[in-house]
Amino acid sequence: MKIPRRTFLRTAGISLALPWLDAFAADPKRPSADAVPRRMICICAPLGLHPDNFFPQKTGRDYDLSPYLEILGEFRDDMTVISGLQHAGMGSSFAHQASASFLTGVPGAGRPGFRNAISLDQFAAEQIGTKTRFPSLALSGEGAGGLSWTRTGALIPADNAPSKVFARLFLEGRADEVQEQMRRLDDGRSILDDVSVQAKSMRSTLGSEDRDKLDEYLTSVRELEQRMVTDESWAKKPKPKVSVKPPTDITNAADLIGRTRLLFDLTHLALQTDSTRLITIMLAGSSFAPPIPGVTLGHHDLSHHGKDPRKLEQLKIVEIETMKTVRDLLAKLRQSKEDSSTLLDRTTVFLGSNLGESSSHSTKNLPVLLAGGGFRHGQHLPFDPQNPPPLCNLFVSMLQRMGIETARFGTSTGMLTGLDAKA
Amino acid sequence: MNHARRIIYLIGMFAGMLLRAHAADANFHGFFERHCVKCHSGEKPKGDLVLDNLTADFAGKASRERWDRVLEQLTSGDMPPKDKPRPPAEEVKALADWIGGRVASAETARRSAEGRVVMRRLNRAEYANTVRDLLGVEVDLSDLLPPDTSTSGFDNSAELLHTSSYLMRSYLDAASRMLDEAIVNTQKPWLLKKRFDVREERSVKAKGSVYRHVDDGVAIFAVWESANIRVTMWNFRSHVRGKYRFRISGYGFQSEGKPVNFHVNAGTFKEVTEERLIDYFAVPANTAKVIEFTEQLEPENRVRIIADGLPALPPTVEKIGADKYTGPGLVIQWMDVEGPLLESWPPPSHKAIFGDLKQERVPGTGDSARFEVVSPQPVADAERILRDFARRAFRRPVTDEDIRPFLARVKARLDQKYSFEQAVRVGLRAILVSPDFLFLREQANALDDFALASRLSYFLWSSMPDEPLLKLAAEKRLHEPSVLHAQVERMLGDAKAKAFTANFTGQWLSLRAIDATLPDRTLYPEYDDMLKTAMLKETSLFFDEVLARDLPLTNFVSSDFTFLNARLAKHYGIPGIEGTEMRKVTLPPGTHRGGVLTMGSVLKVTANGTTTSPVIRGAWVLERILGTPPPKPPADVEAIEPDIRGATTIREQLAKHRKVASCAKCHTKIDPPGFALESFDVIGGWRENYRALSNNGEKDAKGRRVRQGPAVDPGDALPDGRHFHDVDEYKKLILEDKDQLARCLAEKLLAYSTGASPTKSDKPHIETIVRNLHDKNYGFRSLIHEVVCSPVFQSK
Repeated sequence: MKIPRRTFLRTAGISLALPWLDAFAADPKRPSADAVPRRMICICAPLGLHPDNFFPQKTGRDYDLSPYLEILGEFRDDMTVISGLQHAGMGSSFAHQASASFLTGVPGAGRPGFRNAISLDQFAAEQIGTKTRFPSLALSGEGAGGLSWTRTGALIPADNAPSKVFARLFLEGRADEVQEQMRRLDDGRSILDDVSVQAKSMRSTLGSEDRDKLDEYLTSVRELEQRMVTDESWAKKPKPKVSVKPPTDITNAADLIGRTRLLFDLTHLALQTDSTRLITIMLAGSSFAPPIPGVTLGHHDLSHHGKDPRKLEQLKIVEIETMKTVRDLLAKLRQSKEDSSTLLDRTTVFLGSNLGESSSHSTKNLPVLLAGGGFRHGQHLPFDPQNPPPLCNLFVSMLQRMGIETARFGTSTGMLTGLDAKA
Repeated sequence: MNHARRIIYLIGMFAGMLLRAHAADANFHGFFERHCVKCHSGEKPKGDLVLDNLTADFAGKASRERWDRVLEQLTSGDMPPKDKPRPPAEEVKALADWIGGRVASAETARRSAEGRVVMRRLNRAEYANTVRDLLGVEVDLSDLLPPDTSTSGFDNSAELLHTSSYLMRSYLDAASRMLDEAIVNTQKPWLLKKRFDVREERSVKAKGSVYRHVDDGVAIFAVWESANIRVTMWNFRSHVRGKYRFRISGYGFQSEGKPVNFHVNAGTFKEVTEERLIDYFAVPANTAKVIEFTEQLEPENRVRIIADGLPALPPTVEKIGADKYTGPGLVIQWMDVEGPLLESWPPPSHKAIFGDLKQERVPGTGDSARFEVVSPQPVADAERILRDFARRAFRRPVTDEDIRPFLARVKARLDQKYSFEQAVRVGLRAILVSPDFLFLREQANALDDFALASRLSYFLWSSMPDEPLLKLAAEKRLHEPSVLHAQVERMLGDAKAKAFTANFTGQWLSLRAIDATLPDRTLYPEYDDMLKTAMLKETSLFFDEVLARDLPLTNFVSSDFTFLNARLAKHYGIPGIEGTEMRKVTLPPGTHRGGVLTMGSVLKVTANGTTTSPVIRGAWVLERILGTPPPKPPADVEAIEPDIRGATTIREQLAKHRKVASCAKCHTKIDPPGFALESFDVIGGWRENYRALSNNGEKDAKGRRVRQGPAVDPGDALPDGRHFHDVDEYKKLILEDKDQLARCLAEKLLAYSTGASPTKSDKPHIETIVRNLHDKNYGFRSLIHEVVCSPVFQSK
């Protein structure tokens, strides 16, 4: 959905447009808005983050760090914790399935007839995806289920093997391999040509709803053709060189922290080399007991703690380890300088969950943490869980901060109030 | 807007105006003006639903979906909101009836023009099976093809199967991989035929370990998988992909006359995920027994032999010393391997594409041993090959027009100096990503014989039709009732029908979710992989038995038999069953088992790893068995927060719920089956009392850190007032309405077999099925035949 700028300004209203205008404000010392690369990382913890340990008691700028936020203490001025938000139209009966809507905001995930729509990262990729070798990366701690969805509501399979992603990003093929790849791309494009001829001749024989299905096919073919053209031009350019060793995949499915760490390291490398600007990460929600001292039960089972103090204790240990991986990711982003800024300042890191309270499968009061990206941070921004704005309002704010013109996303009703861009 | 479209648009507007003049339309406009439009209009309509421009158009999809939302809100009573003036009930009902009627007639009109089922793409399982049967090779594609989104019901729902550029790329890659496998470019691989002596394996050290080398093999006394104390046969390695035959000889050692269990895994073992179970086996005490199996292996695969049920852990054995240890063990003597088992060379997969065309050594490439197919008349051969391949791939006869783009491409590639084989491969790859291959082509109204052949084969095999089906379709005889009946019988007897059992039960009974949670090890230490495997086998063997013998489908609710092995029988508290093999067992009275509701597998997937919820299990029974799914819960209701500290039972927590009238409306229906199943814990074990965690880690008589919690109360009453005291009585009550059980299963089968759930207008056909089935003693196999004969199945 590309909205003409004029429409955007009219519907968004002056107050909404200001932060976006700010991004374009003329400043001779700053690179022009278009030249400032803006990036985004979206992370979903599919089993939630225990609210008692996540949310601070106090609100505003003088909030107290909760046990989990304590871990991120050094980033207090680089992050905002937001409470009370939820996606519209989610229910506890399909709380796990709601991860499908985590970045799309489409109500009713899990219900019969549910049809997903474009996810936040892909919406952004439509605008800025061609600027990098990879329009976006969809990563996952386990399995191919991720957070990214196409405009027609198809799941984009997520990569769960860091070694393979690393190879795609940084390892140069041998000359004959590159040549073979070019030939495959060429064959592939020819094949797509042929099948679209076939599909078009088929089209006239179909009823209107079949035609919609075929059009989805034709759109997919056309998009892949375009993608292959871009791939061909990138295939001719050398890949960026990095001075780290290729990662070794962690084979132990229970080691969710180790796996998360590998994904986060890769995320940092991908952004630092400007291989992509959009990354989604679905963290693992393993059923097995992770190899962490003091933890004897699986993460999923711990999340169904049933108020058992023993489980709550272990759950806290696991989630604190997760928060440490987030801390280390933020630290790497802050250490990486770009122009006169840091990578963190140009990267919006969004951490959240489809679950507010996993034990009861609640989808209200979702844990939301926003770091970096050039927002005015340093506060606990509370909303009334009984009558909150949709989480999609935050997505609109994030998109606009990236310089993407839109007044709406998903179920949004505007931008998120109280969250402003840095001056 | 061009001229023609403008005219159509104007006609549409005019038609809309005419409709608006209709009396009932005036009513709905008045209703909406009074109760809806105030919020549902303007720039920010509530719920993103605009109602001030609703027309009586029910034909367009977008408009119809909007009406569906209106109808849903009206019938659920959620709208207009509670704090706004409510319209009189009869007015709401009149409007709802009117909408319902219009939706139904629009649906009828659409169906006669376009059919019920939208054009359906092959799902992941169907695609994998289809390429397997089309190309005659088995290749794992699970890393390439993403899982299909199945939000509810079945993952072959035509509506939900989308296409994306990512998927198209996967299809391109999958096609390459499959063709690389089907077409051989090497000489015949050598045949491995060898006996591997376990004593020579480096994983079984003779000294200071848990193994004792005996005269005829190695005795294994303990296993610790996480510490890699397990027997891996490193000396064997599959050198190419293919089927391998294994024979393993062993016996129970010092096992006091009892058989000893073990299982065999295969994989590269380089990653945890690259290890899979082949099967569980048992060998008798003292007398060597040879177990035999054939397995499809990828290159570089190895196998592991892992003893099960040995009482000691490695430190215990090591302390005593394996030489002096007197406890039970498993002796493995040797393992014979033969493979790959080839029918011919080149293999049938290669010949199916290229026939008898010769292969020649290719000069000049890096790999000196590479062979390629050559042709003296490339264009003519390519055309013949593409035509035959497309016919099978498209599951129907092909015209010149069908293959024209593919043939043109091959010719162009030949002109570009591609070799014959490389050029043909491009054409084959194109066919494998073409819409005629990826989508099922069906015509509105009655299916022709070819479409019927595909519908049948994707129903019972999750794969493409074979030659006999295509031949009958070509003769236009497949639709004849006697032919159809014979084909269904033939297909159910084929090994490929396993896909029906796996995919249908996997979704109807949620068995695919068996690993979604791992039961709490402290509360349920008795749960392990062996038990899980037995549970799953029980359900699929039971399903197969009901299907094979045309037993009444009431068996799914209650039966006097099931399938057990020693492990599962122990779990169910049924004595006298030994060994790992599953067998049919007549259930003694008082076991509370029989039927799928009381199977470990179903009870496991309807619970989380810690607690059971009558609401979840109850809703599951309503939806899957009774076919009366509860309406969705209001969005603003929070689920009950489980409390396993033992203070309150779930019944006490739910009781509060049922006191509220608006909750009680549904929960009087949902809760009863859930309460009946409260007698079963999260892994399907029988319980009189809830199991709670012990205080301060004290252990019970069995060494578990658990104690007895509050008593389970499995009694309740159905909404019609009939009482039951336990699950046995509950089953009897629901068995009284056999027609409803048949109706539910007929609907599920129609949804699964056609790719779309039946709707209201299919009701008469479903009733015909139920009526006919009544005369056939509700036989489940008869139900399959009835479904296939139904006009719902035989039209798009």
